[in-house]
Amino acid sequence: MKSRILALLGGTLLSASAMAGGYQVNLASQRQIGMGHTGTGIQTGTSSIFFNPGAMSFLRENGVTIGASAISSHIAYRAPEPTNTTAEADNDFGTPFQVYGVYGINEKLKVGLGVYTPFGSGVRWGDNWRGKYGLSEIDLQAIYFQPTVSYQITDKIGVGVGFVVATGGVNLQRVLPVQKQGSPEGRIELDGGANTAFGFNAGVFFQPTEQLSIGVNYRSKVDLKVEDGDVTFENIPDAARGNFPEGTTFTAELPMPSTLSLGIGFKPSEQLTLAVDVSRVQWSAYESLRFDFSQPVGGSTVSESGRNYDDAMIYRIGGEYMVNDALALRAGAYYDQSPVSDGYLTPETPDADSRGLSVGLGYSFSDMISVDASFLYINKKERTDTADKSNGVPGTFKATAYIPGLGVNFKF
Amino acid sequence: MKKFLYKSSLLALSAGLLLTSCDPEIDAPSANSGEADFSSYIAVGNSLSAGYADGGLYREGQLSSVPALLAQQFQEVGGGEFTQPLFTEAQRNGSGYLRLTGFTAQGSPVTANVTSELAIRSQNPTLYTKYTENINNLAIPGIKTADVQTAGYGSTQGNPFFERLTDNPGQTYLQYVQAQAQAADHTFFSIWMAENDVLGYATSGGAFLDRVITPVDKFDQNFSALVSALDGEGKEGVLVTVPDVTAIPFFTTVGPSVKQALTAAGAPGFVALTGAGNTRVQLGTAQINAAQGGVYFPLTAAAYAPLLGQPTGKYWRDLARQASASQDPIVVRLTLAGLLANYGIDTTSAFGVSVGNPIPSALLLDVTEVNNVKSATTAFNNIIKAQAQARGLALWDANAYFNSILGGFSQAGVSYSPAFITGNLFSLDGVHLTPRGYAIATNEIIKAINAKYNSNVPLVDETQYRAVLLP
Repeated sequence: MKSRILALLGGTLLSASAMAGGYQVNLASQRQIGMGHTGTGIQTGTSSIFFNPGAMSFLRENGVTIGASAISSHIAYRAPEPTNTTAEADNDFGTPFQVYGVYGINEKLKVGLGVYTPFGSGVRWGDNWRGKYGLSEIDLQAIYFQPTVSYQITDKIGVGVGFVVATGGVNLQRVLPVQKQGSPEGRIELDGGANTAFGFNAGVFFQPTEQLSIGVNYRSKVDLKVEDGDVTFENIPDAARGNFPEGTTFTAELPMPSTLSLGIGFKPSEQLTLAVDVSRVQWSAYESLRFDFSQPVGGSTVSESGRNYDDAMIYRIGGEYMVNDALALRAGAYYDQSPVSDGYLTPETPDADSRGLSVGLGYSFSDMISVDASFLYINKKERTDTADKSNGVPGTFKATAYIPGLGVNFKF
Repeated sequence: MKKFLYKSSLLALSAGLLLTSCDPEIDAPSANSGEADFSSYIAVGNSLSAGYADGGLYREGQLSSVPALLAQQFQEVGGGEFTQPLFTEAQRNGSGYLRLTGFTAQGSPVTANVTSELAIRSQNPTLYTKYTENINNLAIPGIKTADVQTAGYGSTQGNPFFERLTDNPGQTYLQYVQAQAQAADHTFFSIWMAENDVLGYATSGGAFLDRVITPVDKFDQNFSALVSALDGEGKEGVLVTVPDVTAIPFFTTVGPSVKQALTAAGAPGFVALTGAGNTRVQLGTAQINAAQGGVYFPLTAAAYAPLLGQPTGKYWRDLARQASASQDPIVVRLTLAGLLANYGIDTTSAFGVSVGNPIPSALLLDVTEVNNVKSATTAFNNIIKAQAQARGLALWDANAYFNSILGGFSQAGVSYSPAFITGNLFSLDGVHLTPRGYAIATNEIIKAINAKYNSNVPLVDETQYRAVLLP
C-alpha cells in the first residue's frame, strides 16, 4: 500500500508536454525583416551569410552588421466552452540579435562570420492559469556561430558554405499537482545548457541578368542536446519527496530543423527591388519530446510525449524602394504554416498558421555607415484544439506580436 | 524643441495605445441563462451539498461547496447573491476535520483531528454555533430523505447541523425548506439528497439496527414532498442521483491489502459476521473488491486488517469502550463479556479465518449487504429520475457519471480517479469530495443544466481548487 499511494502522489507530472512548438525565429536581418524576411534570391549584404552564402561572393565591400529586435508578444487563452476561464501569456525571449562580418580575400573569394539566433521561444503563463500543470514558463534559445566561405565561380554564379557551430539552453517550469499543507503547490524547474552541435548552411546564387536573380539555400538540421541539466523542485510535501528526488538531472534533445529555401529577385528599375522566397522547414524531424532523468521522477525515469510535427511551408514577398541614394523604404509580407497537427497543440508555443506584415527603412549616413529599422507585425490564426494527443492544454489560443528592430552597417 | 517633445510623446502615446489595443482577443459566445432563471437559487441536500470534506464541515469546504460554485457560475448569467451558513473565520474549523499527518511503515495514511478554531458550543450533545439567518444553501450533513418530515430533527437531540440553522426546534426539515424557499422567493433549486438513505447502512457494514436503509415507499413519499416544496410555476431546478457507494474509496482502499495478506497466507477464504446478528458467512478471498459478488472492507477496517490470522479481541475491546456508558474498567469489561457472549466470539481463535473469531459485520460489506445497498440505490434513483422526468427538471445522473470514471481520466494535465488520496477527487474520509472534486461535480451539474435549459452557464476552472493536502 505504501508503494501504491506514495508512488502515485503527483505522479502525473511529466505526462504533459514540454518545450516549444514552432520555435523557429525568423529575425536574421533588419533590412530583410522589412522586406518580409525574403533574401534567398537577392543580394542582402553581409546577412547573405544567413540567407544565402552563395550571394556573399557578390559583395564588393568588406562590412560588419550588428542588429537586434525587441519582441512584444502576447498569447490569449480561453478554456473550452462553455467557460469564463481565460489567461494571457507574455511571449518573448531574450533579444534576437545578429552580427555579420564579411571580408574579401580577393575579387572572387570572400570569408565571413555570422552569429545569430535562428531558434528560440519564451512564454510566460505564470503559476495560476488553467494550464499550469502543463507549463508555467519556458525559455529556449539557440545561438549559431557560422564561419562562412563564398566563391564567385563566374560573374553570374556564386556558391557558398558556412559551418554552423550551435549552442543554446532551455529553462522550463511548471506547477506540480501535489500540495503541502499551508503551502502553494509544488513546482518543477528544468534548466540546462546545450552541448555544442554542428551543422552547415550552403547556397547557390545565380544572377543571369541585371534584373533577375535566383538563389537556393539549405540550412541543415542541428540537434541540440542538453546533458546533466538540473531538475529543481519547490514546495514538495515530505510524503511525496520520494517521487521528486533532490539532485536529479535530465537529458533531452531537441531538433533545430533543416530549412530549404528558393528565392527569386526582380529589379524592374534601378530604384525597386522585389523578392519572393519559398521555404520548406523539415519539422517532421520533431517526432517526440523525451526527457531522461537520472532518478525516477513521478515514478518514471523517462517522460515522453508525442509531437509528430509536419513539414511546413513559408511563403514570403518583399520589396525595397530607393527614394534617393540615402533612403530606402521597404515592405513585405509572409505566410508561415504551422507544423503542429490537430490534437498536438501545446502551451509552449500554441502554434497556428501565422501572417506577418513588415515595413522598414534604411538610411545611409555616408558610404561607411548606414542604419536599418524594421517593424514586423505577426498575427497567428486563432486556434482551438483538444490537445489530446500531446497531453497539452485544450482550449483556444490566439497570439499576436509586434517586433521593432534596429541594425547598423559599417562598410570599409 | 518643446514642440518636438510634445509631438514625439504624442506619437509614443498613440503607438502605445495601438499596441495595447491590439493585444490578442478571443471572441467568445456570450453566457446566457437560456430558459432558466438563476436570479434566486436555493440548494437542498446533505453533506455533499454542504461542502463537507475530510470527515467534517469547515469553512474552506463550505466555500467550495457545489451550490456555492454553482451560484458563482450562475452570476455570469443573471444569478443573484448566494448566502451560505459559513463558519466565521475565527471558528473556521467548524466541526473539526481530518488532516493527513503521515503514513505508517506499511503505507497506510495516518490522520489526526483538527481541534482548534472549532465552532462547537456544546460537547454533550455536540452542538455548533448557531446560524439562523435566511440562507440559500440549506444542506444538512448527515440528513437522510427519511428524516425530512421527522419532528424534533432540529432539536438538540436531533441533527446538530440542522439544530445549528433553525431557531425552531419543533420544525421539520421540510418546513424549514418551505420557509426558506418562501423567504428567498427562489427561481432555481437543486436537490442532492439520497446518499445517506443507503450510506449509513453501508459504512457500518449493515451491522447496526439503527442504521437501516430507508424503505422505498418512505423515500418516495419524502422525496416527492421535498420536490413539491420547491418546484412550481416559473421555477426550474436540477436533481441528482445516488452514486454506487461501493465504488468510493471508503470501500475500495482496504480490500486489496487484505486480499494480498490472505493470498500470501494461502487462505482461500475468510469468515465474517453478517447483518446485525451472530450469523457467520464463509467468503472467498477472490470476492474482495470483485466486480461480481464483491465484498468490501470499509476504511474503518484498516486498523484491524493487519491482525488477520492472529488471535485478537481488539475490535471487541474497542467496541466495548465505545458502547459503555462509563469508561470504568469494570463496566467496560462487563460490556465486553456481553458482546463476546452475544456474538459467540473466541478471541483466542485466529481472527478472520476461524468461525470462533470472524471478521465483525461492521468491518465488511458482504454480498447480501451489497445487494441490499444496490437494489435500494436503483429504486431511489428510479424515483429521482421519474420526478425529474415528470416535472421537466434537469437531472445529473451522478450514478452513471461515477461509474464512467472508475478507470480514471485526465484533465488539464492532472489524473483523476476514485482512488484514495492519489485520485485527487475524494477527501480523507473516503466518502466526500475534495474542493477539486466538488468543482468537477459542479461542472457535471452545469452540463446537465445547460443541456436541459438551453443555457450557457460557464464551467468552473477546477484547477483553482485544491485536492488532498499532504504533510
